Amino acid sequence: MKKINFWYLSSFLISFVVIIPIITVGISFFEETSNYYKILKDTFLIEYILNSLTLLVLVLIFTFVIGTGTAYLVSFFKFPFSDFFKWALILSFAVPPYIYAYSLTAFFDNYGIAYTILTNLFGEGEYNKIIPKVNGMFGATLSMTFSLFAYVFILSRASFLYQSQNLIDLGKNLGFSRFKSFFNIILPAARPAIVAGLSLVAMETLAEFGAVDFFSINTLTTGIYNSWIAFDDLAFANRIASLLLLFIFSLFIIENLSRKKAKYHFNIKGGFKQKEKIKLFGYKSLLTFIFCFFVFFMSFLFPLSQMLYWTIKFPENLLDLQIISLLLNTLYLALLSSLVLIIFSLISNYGNRVTNNKILNILSTLSISGYAIPGVILAVAFITFIAWFDNTIVKSLGFLSIKKVFIGSILGLVIVYFIRFYSLAFNGIKSGYEKINIAVDESAYLLGYSKRKTFTNIHIPFLRNSLLFIIILISLEIIRELPITLILRPFNFETFATTAYISASEDLLEAAAVPSLFLILIASIFIIIASKYILRENNG
Amino acid sequence: MDNFFEVKNVDFIIDGKTKVKNMSFSIEKEGDIVCLLGPSGIGKTTILRAIAGLQKIKNGHIKLKGKVLASDKINIEPENRNISLAFQENSLFPHYTVEKNILLGEEKNADKKDKQISFQEIVDILDISQILNQYPHQISAGEAQRASLARSLLSKPDLLLLDEPLSNVDQSHKEDIQEKLKKMLSKLKITTIIVTHDSYEAFYLGSKCGIILNNQLKQYDDPYNVYHLPNSIEVVNFLNRGILIPAKVTSPKSLENEELGTITGNFVKPFPLGADVKLLIQPEDLEHDDKSNLQLEVVDRKFRGTNFIYTLKTIKNLLIPVFVHSHHIHQHDVQEKFGIKRPIHIEHLVCF
Repeated sequence: MKKINFWYLSSFLISFVVIIPIITVGISFFEETSNYYKILKDTFLIEYILNSLTLLVLVLIFTFVIGTGTAYLVSFFKFPFSDFFKWALILSFAVPPYIYAYSLTAFFDNYGIAYTILTNLFGEGEYNKIIPKVNGMFGATLSMTFSLFAYVFILSRASFLYQSQNLIDLGKNLGFSRFKSFFNIILPAARPAIVAGLSLVAMETLAEFGAVDFFSINTLTTGIYNSWIAFDDLAFANRIASLLLLFIFSLFIIENLSRKKAKYHFNIKGGFKQKEKIKLFGYKSLLTFIFCFFVFFMSFLFPLSQMLYWTIKFPENLLDLQIISLLLNTLYLALLSSLVLIIFSLISNYGNRVTNNKILNILSTLSISGYAIPGVILAVAFITFIAWFDNTIVKSLGFLSIKKVFIGSILGLVIVYFIRFYSLAFNGIKSGYEKINIAVDESAYLLGYSKRKTFTNIHIPFLRNSLLFIIILISLEIIRELPITLILRPFNFETFATTAYISASEDLLEAAAVPSLFLILIASIFIIIASKYILRENNG
Repeated sequence: MDNFFEVKNVDFIIDGKTKVKNMSFSIEKEGDIVCLLGPSGIGKTTILRAIAGLQKIKNGHIKLKGKVLASDKINIEPENRNISLAFQENSLFPHYTVEKNILLGEEKNADKKDKQISFQEIVDILDISQILNQYPHQISAGEAQRASLARSLLSKPDLLLLDEPLSNVDQSHKEDIQEKLKKMLSKLKITTIIVTHDSYEAFYLGSKCGIILNNQLKQYDDPYNVYHLPNSIEVVNFLNRGILIPAKVTSPKSLENEELGTITGNFVKPFPLGADVKLLIQPEDLEHDDKSNLQLEVVDRKFRGTNFIYTLKTIKNLLIPVFVHSHHIHQHDVQEKFGIKRPIHIEHLVCF
């Protein structure tokens, strides 16, 4: 009998489990829906689509300008605090869009913080009339822009960093001005990185639930949530979900087609020259500093100080909450899920590497699309699948219902996190693996190492640093994650994110401040640890 | 008695493409060195990988010390073959220092008492003591190749496979390392198969050379015979050390060329009288003689340090290479005349 290949089988199963939600959503598209669908199709569906599109376009434009702008400045110029901004701008990751939305509202609301500041400065007055109202689409756009621009910043900065000085010298040689060099050489050469950053922003924007829900904007994501929670219509939720998925996949296809056969990477062997940063003086230096500080202030200091202010002003909220329990729950979920993700992604990556099988490759490519699927869809698809499996298979075999094991349990939560963040873990490990020449594995076999020993003695020690980085990255995502946790968490199991959301949705913004503040602080610690890897200047 | 190593009727295939068809060759005794020569992309590395067990074979067999390692039914995993392969590219473990990498080789056959060689000895021979504390990404390609070779040697394999072992090593080190490597392999009696495209390296290191061309092992013989008695026009063209000129067999020991006249010698294989053949002229077959009445025009002169290779043109536009020691007093410039000693005598008459 032919020996079953452990690595093939395990990689196959892992990838297969991850693509189940995509299949579920796809199949559900053809299911019967309630009357709600017919009503909605004629009324709100177009609004959902238009709102999602408007938000997407606005956030993409702003994150592009802010993300590439700041990345260009810190990569090519030396000005006061330029080294500080390199990592400080990443701290915006610590503030999820929904917490940013709470801060904006609190500041610009009638009789909000802005009103208080003006009253303290200039005495009583009709300030509410002159303070701009930051809500609706404008508020959501600002929240998402300042919370998500770091994706574009990190990736374009990395790309700018590896652009050879030769390339820039070539521009000078051709007589290009700095302006022309930026638009004709630097920006086009960094295009794949910028597009990758914008794709992440696009996915996060389309998937965003907390901020749009807070500002009462009807998008496809809130549509899915409402049709499931308010109208109990899973099939319709899935139908909108398939629309959203179609939308996301179209974005990918358009990007790939537009790139055609252009190559953007350079063989830097022998031709790479480290860039020399240009030192700025006078007003140029001041303006650059002001721009970067403004972005840092708006993206991090502003929401942080807002939450800090409320926490100090209403200390009773601090005492009311069981901070230790929330902290433990948040960290427990983050670390458990990232460990599970790391273990399974390592196995499937290694399985792909040693078997080099085409089916497995296709399956893993499909399986990493989980990140493109909004959390709300995944949660709904997971419930749909478990309900179907329970009703058609488990019950027909005469077993007890398994719904409670998976829905409203830590196990279910970890599984859906697993599907959602699998691509982060898989791709992270894959890029680590790409640095290990296949001849290294073969040398190990020839030195008498088995496949398992090669995995444990050669690969894992080499990938150690990447693994640590991926654990931090996934933990960061899970700490900020809202819809999956909200839908699938066990009864009475709260995290900082869910507590903040619940307080905010009950219009108790001051009470939302404490969990939000803790969330920002923990996420900042994770970011500072991870920044060592993110900001590596030399790939040594 | 069984050969020490044997490849019999094997097709070497990669990505569904047959690189080398129906290949057979053997190594009679332990400690012999065999070199496989061929142009790039011909499948030399594929052969080594299949012997090492990194690729499967579908027909024929590969045997080592009387034991079948691979056939259509058997496939012993690479870790159980005791064959070591030093890759052309950097295959050092990236998270270990060079020293640790090399010492990993020693762990493999720590209990093997024969083939004793110390770590220090290998390090000295390959001249890598200065990089021992460095990591693989900090060293040059040539140094990585030597470190990889050291690891392979220290693992005391039954069969050592070297894939272009010195291709990244600079010329100043190359000859010295070749010499030391040959001595060490012979002292340790490590049976070795070396793949290379450098014919000088193959002729120096190998006790046997195999020439792979057009998906086949064309010739498998000792280096002298491969060079002086090539068995096909393809091998002559590949070695690129001579020219084939038209001639007519005039006696059992001579033939006639329209421009060079009578050429005497011993036919390697017999031809009937009057047969039209192509005779191989190698650079060292013709002698320079200023007083000769056979004067040809110089069209190129290559200075190779120890010698010159002149390329001479006949009236019928044949380009003939002639070897002359570099201390030869009378140098000829391009377009000058160059005399060839007559009558011409070539020890082995290689004709096709």
